Amino acid sequence: MMLPALVILTAISILPLFYIIWMSLNNLTLLGGTGISSHWTGLGNWGLMFTDPGVWAGWLAMVIYFIATVGLEIILGLVAALVIHEVVWGKNLALSLILIPMFIAPVIVGLLGRFLVNPTYGLYAWVLRESGIYGGNILGGSVSAFVAVVLMDVWEWTPLVALITLAGLVSIQPQILEAAKVDGASYLERLRHIVLPSIAGIIVALLIRSMDALRYFDIIWQATNGGPANATKIIPLRLYESAFRFFHLGYAATIGLLMLAVSILVANLFTGILRQRGLLR
Amino acid sequence: MSTGARFSPGKIFPYVLLLLLLLWTLVPIVWMLLSSFKSLTDVLSPTPLLTFKPTLANYIGLVSGGNNVLTYFRSSILAAGISTIIATTLGCFAGYGLARSNFRGKRHLAFWIISTRMAPIAAVILPLFIGFTFLHLINTVWGLIVAYLSFNLPFAIWIMNAFFADLPPGIEEAARVDGASNFQTFWRIALPMTAPGIVTTAILCLVFSWNDYAFAVTFAGPGSQTLPVAASQLITQTGVDWGQLTAIGTVVALPMVIVGLAVRRYLVRGLTLGAVTGE
Amino acid sequence: MTRRGFLRITGAGLAGASLPWLAGCGGGSGSSGASAGGREWKRFSGMTINFISENTAPTSAIAANLTPFKKLTGISVTIQQLELTSLAQRVALDFGSHSGEYQVIYADPYQVMAPLHDRFTDLKEFMEDSSLPSVPKGTGDFIPTQLDAAGHFGDRLLALPYDAPTMIWCYRKDLFEKYHNRMQEDLGFDPIPSDSSTWEQYYRIAKWFNDNQDDVPYGAGHQAKQHDALMCDFSNVLWAYGGDYFEKGQKVGKLGTTDPGPSTLDSPEAIEAAKLYKKLIEIAHPGSTSWDWNDLGEAFGAEECAMCPEWHEFAAAWEVGSLKGNIGYARLPKGPARSANHYGGTGIAVNRYASEDQQKAAWLFVVWATSPEAQLMDLKSSVGGGTPTRTSVYQMPEVKHNKNPLTNMPNIVTAPAVLEAWEPQNIGLRPKIPSWNQCDTIIYSQVSQMLTAGKNPEDAMRDAKIEIDQAVKGVPSAI
Repeated sequence: MMLPALVILTAISILPLFYIIWMSLNNLTLLGGTGISSHWTGLGNWGLMFTDPGVWAGWLAMVIYFIATVGLEIILGLVAALVIHEVVWGKNLALSLILIPMFIAPVIVGLLGRFLVNPTYGLYAWVLRESGIYGGNILGGSVSAFVAVVLMDVWEWTPLVALITLAGLVSIQPQILEAAKVDGASYLERLRHIVLPSIAGIIVALLIRSMDALRYFDIIWQATNGGPANATKIIPLRLYESAFRFFHLGYAATIGLLMLAVSILVANLFTGILRQRGLLR
Repeated sequence: MSTGARFSPGKIFPYVLLLLLLLWTLVPIVWMLLSSFKSLTDVLSPTPLLTFKPTLANYIGLVSGGNNVLTYFRSSILAAGISTIIATTLGCFAGYGLARSNFRGKRHLAFWIISTRMAPIAAVILPLFIGFTFLHLINTVWGLIVAYLSFNLPFAIWIMNAFFADLPPGIEEAARVDGASNFQTFWRIALPMTAPGIVTTAILCLVFSWNDYAFAVTFAGPGSQTLPVAASQLITQTGVDWGQLTAIGTVVALPMVIVGLAVRRYLVRGLTLGAVTGE
Repeated sequence: MTRRGFLRITGAGLAGASLPWLAGCGGGSGSSGASAGGREWKRFSGMTINFISENTAPTSAIAANLTPFKKLTGISVTIQQLELTSLAQRVALDFGSHSGEYQVIYADPYQVMAPLHDRFTDLKEFMEDSSLPSVPKGTGDFIPTQLDAAGHFGDRLLALPYDAPTMIWCYRKDLFEKYHNRMQEDLGFDPIPSDSSTWEQYYRIAKWFNDNQDDVPYGAGHQAKQHDALMCDFSNVLWAYGGDYFEKGQKVGKLGTTDPGPSTLDSPEAIEAAKLYKKLIEIAHPGSTSWDWNDLGEAFGAEECAMCPEWHEFAAAWEVGSLKGNIGYARLPKGPARSANHYGGTGIAVNRYASEDQQKAAWLFVVWATSPEAQLMDLKSSVGGGTPTRTSVYQMPEVKHNKNPLTNMPNIVTAPAVLEAWEPQNIGLRPKIPSWNQCDTIIYSQVSQMLTAGKNPEDAMRDAKIEIDQAVKGVPSAI
């Protein structure tokens, strides 16, 4: 039963993984020489990477970006799920509309974001300027650009978190809620009984988002190209540049392996939490 | 909720929040939609125009000239569609196999499967490219299909595994006692019970494949380029045709939105079971 | 507003242009070139070759008009247009796997040709093969600085010049005329761009516009996003002040080398230039720090600034609507050393990994696509508009005595300015070295920090020099 799938997975994932590990142990470049010139350096690339300020800066930006985006997505997603769960009139329409962003390609989201904050013709730039909130160039300052790309990511992926959380909410027995209402519990108190079970859903959402957050950089690439002043240059972007702009394939492989290791660690962390709460078998 | 007046703050508040959420979500989309019907001068107007003379020029531009968007459309449908079908099918089989098996390394195997999806794309591209060249898969739709399997398949197995693991064992045991083979139990009993899961898997795989840019730009050629690549091609040396770009954005988003909304009930139900007790 | 987009809308784009090939000679004296259509062209009939290119004017013009080539040679051409970074990636992968999938490659001299220079075939091989067509009018017809910069790497000729965007001073002629007298009085010099204009004067003109009028919000706009555009814009000032990225930088830029020596970005001239550049951006339109050349082009077209250093091919997009005829083009201002105008042209090259026959077929395409007739067609094409890289095309009566350039060949109005810019003493050439991509990223990242993160010019230049030296040695790092 499992064989065909596992065979394909092995071919597409394991073999490349071995190749990537081999790449990271070599100084592999396309510069000079024929084909791919490789030159064994053992752990040389690894040493270089751990002492590379660019890599550390990329990771720092990544961590902040991850916490900001996933954090906001969880909060907003939870609020969205609660709101949809709570309203009576127009529930279906609301759900449909709120889900739309997650179906739009990240490349388009990045371009759309750029379109909206452009000082010359951007809608959001105009609104912020006219209302006096912010008259500066949004993508021209380090902090404002970072905030902008975080918000673009949040805009796209909050619906996914909301969906998963809503699924959790929907599964709660309505009798418990009714009983609580009859007992005169306030909304906040009932919230506790609602939030707790849906935390499992939130953690799963976290898991799914964290798998992808480290891989995707389409939005930032299109919106700011990593700037200004490297403010939004998270590690996947640096990996891409190392591989396909500088053609330092061995070094890029090294960065990639570290990213994979971190992803696995983070995923392990979340699965561990789920298991602890007895929500996994 | 208070049992007070019909329009008490307690009752209004969720609607207020909902309105804010909807504004946040919809303004960019509506703006993109509106812009796609504006002439280029209107699109670039310094004061955002809410009233303008609409034109279909951008959409017409997409289907005429050298880069006909219909070819991209076809490639996107084929690549995303076929990959989804393969991933979901194999995912069901493997997910069932995994859920019903009981060997020592089971949890590790499950974790390994899902961890293959976490590999950063830029790192994976080179070995895949070399392999694909060897197999003559470059610049073909089949190359894309296989590339998409690299993230769709683990995802499908993971989700279906959770669903199958969640089924009450009693029904299947009863069937087996009645003499059903493994496969029959799977096909007739287990599979139908996980319909929401199948739909969830299929939709999410479809969306991730449809929206992919990195693999498409690497592995696709003139005959097999997908819609997101078409969008980036509107960035030329002397200008970005924002009118056409918003039009393409709409064209890329619309099918997925329609599909996603059509099955949203399944999605909600689907993620319930998977979410709360997922592995 | 992109002209290409506009004309596509009106359907004019599909009309193409008249094609002289089958009717005999086009402009210029008949030579054994593309127009002859002899047997030497038909040798590879039936083949298909692939051309990968950036989304640039000549390619769009050719893509809309491949029939003549098919009729001439019987070869089918599939064209794939990608944005530059994706193109570099595809080409790198093609070379890395020896697949030879793309026989004709748009070889950006700095981002593609220099790093991968030994994967291209030396075109002299084809030129010496008497069974193959030769370059019409010989390679001497190409503008010399362009043939070197876009075509040569070391002593090998790897590409023929295909397009030639160059940065020049674009300004609102109408506004300069309107305020001419007041400006001249206030500033003490004639603001109209001329051979004696300097960057200091440019700065004061920009400031004057900021403070003294309301027609446009700001005097100057720049492409100062953390992007290749920033390096391009900064380089003009750097070179004008006598600084450069390497010792003998212009020679490194012309012919390319694998060993440029240590970087000279910490020289006093370079630091002086960096200080001036910082000053310029401080008073420029605030959007500048998030604008690449496209955004700047849009802004100028939307009347956000009175002048800007920009790639000359944007003229086609601007000369429509209310701005038509109101824009002036001139050589960029000079610094203490000279006036430097950044050259950004590219040539098309042949993939060494393609089979021998495919390479020869590719050569046919390269010759045809850069022939005088093709360049004229491109200049006139409504989906193209690129300026020719051959001197003879500028001499053609149709071009020289064009009564209505703004209507049918808008990019030709920039010709006087760019022809001057292409003179050897005015052209600005960035280094053509294998590790250029990394150096480029270092430069624009450091300058961006200088502009938006408060880093001071000395530190930015010194840090850039240190990092560039490491990069040239081949030390990988994730800048």
